[in-house]
Amino acid sequence: MEQNEILKVNGLTVDFATEQGTVHAVRDISFAVREGEILGVVGESGSGKSVSMYSVMGLLADNGTVTAEKIEFDGQSINASDYDGKRSYEKTMQSVRGNTMSMIFQDPMTFLNPTITIGKQLTEPILNHTKLTKGQARARAVELMTLVGIPSPETRLDQYPFEFSGGMRQRIIIAMALAMSPKLIIADEPTTALDVTIQAQVLDLIKELSKKMGSAVIMITHDLGVVASLCDRINIMYGGKIVETGTDKEIFYTPNHPYTKGLLACIKNPEENDKDLVPIPGSPPDLLKPPAGCPFVDRCESAMKICKLKMPPETVFSDTHKSACWLNDARAEKGVNAHAR
Amino acid sequence: MPANIVKDEVVLKVDHLKTYFDATKGLFAKKQTVKAVDDVSFEIYKGETFGLVGESGCGKSTLGRTIVKIYEPTAGSIEINGRDIAGIKGDELKSFRKDIQYIFQDPYASLDPRMTVGEIIKEPMKIHGIYKTEEEMDARVSQLLRTVGLKPDHIRRYPHEFSGGQRQRISIARTLALDPKFIICDEPISALDVSIQAQIINLLEQIQRELDISYLFIAHDLSMVKHISHRIAVMYLGQIVELGESHEVYTNPMHPYSQALLSAVPVPDPVKGKEKERIMLQGELPSPIDPPSGCPFRTRCPYAMERCAGERPQMKMYGSRQVACFKVEEENS
Repeated sequence: MEQNEILKVNGLTVDFATEQGTVHAVRDISFAVREGEILGVVGESGSGKSVSMYSVMGLLADNGTVTAEKIEFDGQSINASDYDGKRSYEKTMQSVRGNTMSMIFQDPMTFLNPTITIGKQLTEPILNHTKLTKGQARARAVELMTLVGIPSPETRLDQYPFEFSGGMRQRIIIAMALAMSPKLIIADEPTTALDVTIQAQVLDLIKELSKKMGSAVIMITHDLGVVASLCDRINIMYGGKIVETGTDKEIFYTPNHPYTKGLLACIKNPEENDKDLVPIPGSPPDLLKPPAGCPFVDRCESAMKICKLKMPPETVFSDTHKSACWLNDARAEKGVNAHAR
Repeated sequence: MPANIVKDEVVLKVDHLKTYFDATKGLFAKKQTVKAVDDVSFEIYKGETFGLVGESGCGKSTLGRTIVKIYEPTAGSIEINGRDIAGIKGDELKSFRKDIQYIFQDPYASLDPRMTVGEIIKEPMKIHGIYKTEEEMDARVSQLLRTVGLKPDHIRRYPHEFSGGQRQRISIARTLALDPKFIICDEPISALDVSIQAQIINLLEQIQRELDISYLFIAHDLSMVKHISHRIAVMYLGQIVELGESHEVYTNPMHPYSQALLSAVPVPDPVKGKEKERIMLQGELPSPIDPPSGCPFRTRCPYAMERCAGERPQMKMYGSRQVACFKVEEENS
């Protein structure tokens, strides 16, 4: 593990057993998160962006199987295969989850229990992970509510989730995630359910708090605008693979992978003059039968014969910028279009 | 951006439209009303896309639904091709519905899972009895499927066999079945993935160019609305606060709420996106049951004056722009 890496994942694969067969949701991905950085994970629904993070936290549904060479968090292995038996793994995860690693979920209304007061829900992680008394935990909860900008926290603590607006609920979720000053926060589309003005407030809050507490953030999203205004580094996922990774500037200014380029061509920048939208034709691959080669091959304009047969190797452009595409390989037969039949 | 708007041909004219809902809790409780749409007026021309933006709860969907009369208007008029439909009912309403169609947000919920694609697209044709034989209908369905980029042999398949983007194409084919003059698109792309959104937007534009249809495009994704719309209206708490050419409103918003709303849009550029100055709004959206007196935005407006609480600002013209704000009024007088 490099010195300042807080999370290191190697060769992560996630399969789901379903009635239709095995869904290969994440296929052999590796990535790392450094202390204090904000990493964006971008992809369409079904690209494996949420599933890969849920599997790191050990939060997958029962039909999911996780295999990995290595999942290391804060110097400690949290790879289930390094534990003998489910119980010892779960015990470790329980001490990690909500403590040093926490999660902000997408929909604040389904995450919060409607029948329990905000105060009780907010003090729960504090009471679980520390030896504080109820009174001390409550004081900490008030502190957290103030931190995330909720006015009159003392009275608000005794209210129920329905008495809060969507933006306020999301602030409470963030307060819960921050309760133990975690080293890593995984935020799964934290602003998708919110309006733009509220989204701007919540994003600023996440940015400010991660700076203040030195927490690293993994931001799962499909919104490239959100990624650009928040993240230091970006992983682009497609069909269960990380197809490109780079700093924010590398991804937006010198994208390499045809999928990244395609994504950037089909979004609008409201500050720029009008350009034509260039959609990516077709739809994502069926992960029941993932393609043997590049997952993007069926939608790629520059697809070659080799793309259908073999997964492209990673090409390294800089310490931070890597992309998996055959076009970068000198051996590939360029200009032979695989779609021309 | 689609061209050929016919400015002297008004397809839809909404005048002082109000939609109120009763929100009284309990039998003897004090009567309460939600003013979901409160005195809204605008016109849409032939071949034009009119964007309607605003945050959740501002009444934009209620307005769309009132225009197709899913909700009954409380007051005001809705003129389609010069005829007021606000008060009509029964068969007369049915014949007008042919001209106005509606694309819903969620293509998973708006298509009946037990009907084939053919049955879904034929349903409006049958209701309005526009074709006599099954063959004529089949021919029309095949043609429509080609128009929206699907294959004619998809006709016997069921919705679950299609992806989200394809389902939205099916619902677009259904709205086109009756040759409408006007389509209300209520967040038609927000349930779709980014790469698929652009496909649907381009399809809607292509259909508009070919058939001269007008759209009322309701959305909260401001960048896409700017791309597709000729003019846009910004709604806040049941009222339109600013209306103008979409490019002008985006580059130079005049109403303080439009300014805050547009400054909050994340920019997909790592340098500009991180530097962008945002106008942070204080407080929360007031309840439409008990809206503020005077200007609806005054409780969160950084420029609120005494006058804003006393009376409600009216829409005034500034060049091609209409804005309802006393501050703008004072600055331009």
